[in-house]
Amino acid sequence: MIDPRMLVEHGQAVGLPAPVWFIQFFKALGFTLHAVPMNLWYAGLLVALLLRWGQSDHGRLFGSRLLRQMPVIVALGVNLGVVPLLFIQLAYAMFFYPATILMAWFWIAIIALLIPAYYGVYAYAWGIRNGADRLPTWRTAAGWIAALFFIVIGFTFANGLSLMDHVGRWPKLWLAHQHAGAALGTALNVGDPTLWPRWLLMFGLALGTTAAWVVFDAEWFARRATDPSYRRWAWGFARKLYALSLIWTAAAGVWYVFGTWSSELRDTMFHGPLLPLTLATALAPGLGCTLLIAVGWMPAKRLATAAVLLGQFGVLGINAVSRQVVQNVNLKPYLDVLAQPTDVQWGPLVMFLVTFVIGLLVVAWMIAQVRKCDA
Amino acid sequence: MQYPWWYVPHLTAPMLIAVISVVHVLVSHYAVGGGLFLAVETAHAHKTGDRPYLDYLRGHARFFILLTVVFGAITGVGIWWTIGLTSPLATETLIRTFVFGWATEWVFFVVEIVSAFIFLYYWDRLPTRTHTIVGWIYAIAAYISLVLITGITAFMLNSGTWATRPGDDTFWMAFFNPQFLPQTVARTGGALLLSSLYVYLHASFFARDERLRNMIAARSARPALLGAILITAGGIAWYCQLPPSAAATLQSAAVLNLLTALIFALTIIVFFLIYVGPYRNPGWLSPGFAGSLCLFGIAAFSTGEFIRESIRKPFVVHNVVLGNQIAPTEVLTLKKSGFLQGGLWTRAFVKEHYPDVFSDRAIPPWHIVKMNPDTQRRDAAGPSPMAARNALAAGIQNERLLALPYKDRLKLGNVLFLHHCNDCHAADIGYSAVGPLLQGRPRDQVLARVERLDDNYFMPPWSGSHEEAILITDYLMTINPARPVGVRHFMKEQDQSREEDTE
Repeated sequence: MIDPRMLVEHGQAVGLPAPVWFIQFFKALGFTLHAVPMNLWYAGLLVALLLRWGQSDHGRLFGSRLLRQMPVIVALGVNLGVVPLLFIQLAYAMFFYPATILMAWFWIAIIALLIPAYYGVYAYAWGIRNGADRLPTWRTAAGWIAALFFIVIGFTFANGLSLMDHVGRWPKLWLAHQHAGAALGTALNVGDPTLWPRWLLMFGLALGTTAAWVVFDAEWFARRATDPSYRRWAWGFARKLYALSLIWTAAAGVWYVFGTWSSELRDTMFHGPLLPLTLATALAPGLGCTLLIAVGWMPAKRLATAAVLLGQFGVLGINAVSRQVVQNVNLKPYLDVLAQPTDVQWGPLVMFLVTFVIGLLVVAWMIAQVRKCDA
Repeated sequence: MQYPWWYVPHLTAPMLIAVISVVHVLVSHYAVGGGLFLAVETAHAHKTGDRPYLDYLRGHARFFILLTVVFGAITGVGIWWTIGLTSPLATETLIRTFVFGWATEWVFFVVEIVSAFIFLYYWDRLPTRTHTIVGWIYAIAAYISLVLITGITAFMLNSGTWATRPGDDTFWMAFFNPQFLPQTVARTGGALLLSSLYVYLHASFFARDERLRNMIAARSARPALLGAILITAGGIAWYCQLPPSAAATLQSAAVLNLLTALIFALTIIVFFLIYVGPYRNPGWLSPGFAGSLCLFGIAAFSTGEFIRESIRKPFVVHNVVLGNQIAPTEVLTLKKSGFLQGGLWTRAFVKEHYPDVFSDRAIPPWHIVKMNPDTQRRDAAGPSPMAARNALAAGIQNERLLALPYKDRLKLGNVLFLHHCNDCHAADIGYSAVGPLLQGRPRDQVLARVERLDDNYFMPPWSGSHEEAILITDYLMTINPARPVGVRHFMKEQDQSREEDTE
């Protein structure tokens, strides 16, 4: 069988245009920013549809609210996904491209599924916006199909990124799916034991993010349109949902770490300087759940829910950092990503940072206008 | 050469880029021009207190978001997806060069998304002035994103001295390439023109009030006419700044001559129709008229994009990456070491299936024999001195390739074809299929053509060894159909005498 090291390019003629730490930082930050809205359509859409299907008035109300917000959430999520996609192609090109080419038809199907899923979200959301309580069948079907497509998209992403991390699986998949040495693009990484827990782990985290959003929305956006009983329901439902998230995440996490990691990876992640990171990643969802329960009793509800959402951002952030570290460790036998040479483009880098700050200020100004208008 | 090749039968993988990018471009220009339209017209409607027009614009903004934020944005991501799968080396090179251009463009995307949603969802809720400012924020952000992406795509057509003059390989030299200004002017015009055509189409269906429809027709005519003028001016400058290879391709390919004439004809037709229609006679704006106008505009645009893509040959990124995913700097090395040896995945394929051609599998040089390419029989002359020397070197021994059985030579010929040629050519049936291109040519001509591929300046050079050229010729002869019957009936006697002479 082919030695997988044969398939990875080692030397690049041109250095990376940014410091490696900068790329790692923006890749992790970008993924975390993307993960918040992505979690809301990944698990939140399903939760919202189920709640609208159920008998609870409050549940139906939340389901409707989240579905109405969904077009904006999807737009932001897709947009924020550009950053990690850009930086992964910059520093991990030699792993990212081969992995996605091996499963090219499935990878490109993400786009083909995303367009109808997004329009499905609009069809459902604008149906609710028009005031109808019972939607026409086609709009209901569009919402459910969108939820299904988003889950399939998540599975495809998990496939691509787990394949990228496991170069050792490339030769077998390639040789089974090739024509005269050219990839047919029909390989899926379903034989990889890490795929399933990775996929489930993200779904578990997404349930937690949805729970955080339930209380945040109730206290920030739904306060005037609802009575206190709705907010009480929201806190209760969020606690239950986060508890489910916690159990789910713990089960998938234990499976992932103790069932699929190599002993070398476990040694690296459980010893030395990486041990605190591993422990923090494991404990973070528990802390998020504890925070949700603890701040529920605070009188300053808005502040409390902001803390919950920020805490969930931290949970996702620490998870993103850990994923990146595990990725680097997995890839190190083939190429030390962190040791790549650099040839920094300082001028364009400063241009980006300045634009980034100005862009944030402009967005903040617009949101301030909206807040003023809502008040 | 470090990435696997994705085989898409008949269509060829890069054609997927064409499919997605043309569709995306038709929406993305509207995302820019439509933003300007909404900003200018909403300000006007607020200023004049024209309630029916504001109501129409609100409906238009909803249509605009449904088309641009959903379809436009996702097909934009789709282009990234596709170029990474089909042109990984070019994509990697562009990202390494322009990462901060793209990152900056992303900031403007964020501003666009936020402002677009606030503009629509807070219609009639924001103070008039704030609403207008938000509309302008969208328009400016969208326009800057057009300028940024144009700098990158223009670089692909003409990289200037970036790759050829030492010290010029900087971000700024790449961004402000010779094609930057012409393409920015042309795309600005395109955004103005195309968005006006979409506005006409939308208004013809949804602006039921005749006064309103006539006003929209008249007010959008000036930017549309300006757009057509900018396209023409930008197009002329674009032509003047083409690299010599692209200019020669444009002049020499009959189909491109026709398409160039077509694009000028379509632009003139669109200009004329806008002038006599919306500009002089706004009342003409019916769904049929607006639909025809829109179709003409879309046809002109798609033709322009097709020409732009077609004339980059032999490069996919001018002077930086060849159309077949090889850096020009690699060519000489590949000619010496061999194409199969130079590619990570081709080398691995050969190692897996034909380990005997590797030097670490000891085959004594004297076992290597030359094959007669015509008879497929072993030559009696024995190994050449060059073969003996190569056999001792590391990696694939090119002389050994010729010692493989015929069916294996065909297989490797197919490997070479897919990795060297399939970027632009299908095999026997499909997009620019090589079989029909070679139809009826004798073997020696095919081999000569392979080895001197870049005699046609729009083709990349042959980037393999002589032995590999023989292998790919073996394969090409299997997909090369016989000369069509009856073509040379009037030369029959001459052909017969030539055959006799050969015998």
